[in-house]
Amino acid sequence: MTSPSHAHDPHRLEPEAFLEEVHSFEFWFQAVSGYLTGRPYGHAAQAANEAALDPRARERLLTVLANYCVGETAALEGASGLIGFAPNRQAKIFLSTQVVDEGRHLEVLLHRMRELGVADAEAEVERRANHTLVLFKRRLLELVASKDWEAAIFAQNVILEAMEFVVFQTHARRADPVTREILEGIVSDERRHIGFGENELGRRLKQSPHVRPRLAEVRRELDPLVLASFEETLAEVEVPRSERPELGRNYLAAVARLGFE
Amino acid sequence: MADFLSAYSIQSWLESAPQGYLMNTEYGHAPNEKEAPLILENPAMRTAAIRTTVQLVVGERCALAASSGLINSAPDEASKGFLATQTIDEARHVEVFTQRLYDLGVKKAELEDALKAHANPHLVKFAEVLLEKVDKKDFVAGVVGQNVILEGMAFHVFELMHTGNQSLNPKFGHTLSGVIADERRHVGFGENRIGSLIRENPGKKPEVQRMQRDMSYHMLATFAAAFRDTTERDEMERITRAAEARGEIAKPATWQGADLRALPPAEMERLLGDTVLKEFKVRLERIGLEYQTPPGP
Repeated sequence: MTSPSHAHDPHRLEPEAFLEEVHSFEFWFQAVSGYLTGRPYGHAAQAANEAALDPRARERLLTVLANYCVGETAALEGASGLIGFAPNRQAKIFLSTQVVDEGRHLEVLLHRMRELGVADAEAEVERRANHTLVLFKRRLLELVASKDWEAAIFAQNVILEAMEFVVFQTHARRADPVTREILEGIVSDERRHIGFGENELGRRLKQSPHVRPRLAEVRRELDPLVLASFEETLAEVEVPRSERPELGRNYLAAVARLGFE
Repeated sequence: MADFLSAYSIQSWLESAPQGYLMNTEYGHAPNEKEAPLILENPAMRTAAIRTTVQLVVGERCALAASSGLINSAPDEASKGFLATQTIDEARHVEVFTQRLYDLGVKKAELEDALKAHANPHLVKFAEVLLEKVDKKDFVAGVVGQNVILEGMAFHVFELMHTGNQSLNPKFGHTLSGVIADERRHVGFGENRIGSLIRENPGKKPEVQRMQRDMSYHMLATFAAAFRDTTERDEMERITRAAEARGEIAKPATWQGADLRALPPAEMERLLGDTVLKEFKVRLERIGLEYQTPPGP
């Protein structure tokens, strides 16, 4: 697709025109075409060196990928559920692009598990799913089902996306080339999703500051689940114990930067 | 099932749609293509185009709500993945048809008012019947309503409109051809995926068939209103004939074996209704459902 209107910097547009543009399908396509073209299932790297992974490393990687699938399923079901009560057309269209991003993440991660020799990837995800992440998913979907726009966007596009962003970036630095390329593509998408959450909530909090305590409550409830999931995943990708608190702090700082102390 | 669903993966969608037939398009048509002057410059034609496009936006908003709402109740990851691609397709359709309203002169601030003013009440009811099933997380009824009934109707309506527009208004014709390519995929999924679920849940048949009858009634009533509204028809006919005389409309407009330019509105309504219902019957039988004849509007 092509859109000459994107040749300019959208940040120079008036606020309403800016939102119209950055939440559009056209803008999404411009953003993803650079890093998805020529990378079927998220990578161009050859998956030829899988034999080099020792059995223990493969096992650990499969557990991590299975839990990423749990997180991405939560994000897919959360984002799709949000469309039904999104407050305007631009938000609905942006969330549709997020739905296909999350669906793609799930697809490429399941595909990666198959490349690693797993015959029934979906069954493997269920078998290896981390309990705290499953609890997080359940709570997120309850917030979506309750149609609480601010709380659901906060849990989905701030907490979940910030958690994934930190974990995927950390893992990518240590991963084999194929997994690294897949994760880097996912991180590029997550940046857009966090941007949407920040922008949407930032405007709403400015107009309705009374929402803030409710979101702080959501955060108090979800943070322990996020940090426990962190601990388990980072152990599996062999991040030294000494570095793990730092990454937990990075997540907390990312959320705090959005104004949620 | 897994093999058939692999044809509906996000990777396949990326390669066929954004990296395929949508390449080098802008809002579904070639960059810099404009609405035909004979539509923009004639108030009657422009109003008719706005009214028609409003129905498309209403239908696509319903499809967006339905496809996104069905993801949570989909029974497997591959179906969730397909519905994710359908969600973004429907959002794109909402976007391109909304953009067409802007191109036709509707102001952004007046969009919702224009939709309220022109939306056909029967099309709104049609959407409500479907979205009630989606809200209840009824995957089988939701997919039949969305991917067999709504998409089956949309496919033929778009084809008919494409035939009428490809030489009269190439910009809109190009937009429609991309949308038709999407709809073809959606209809295929509904038929392929739902057959096995109907066989596993035979008790659901009466309820799903009732939904089909109700949706079909509202669809026919929507067609009736569209074809029986003759406010601008004489003017449109006059302009079309004049354009033909100037050689601006070169291609014949043949659809389902009929020359659309020679067909009276009542005949066109009958042809469209019969074509869609005939296809419903065939598709429903393929997935193990019995077609229910709707009352006439």
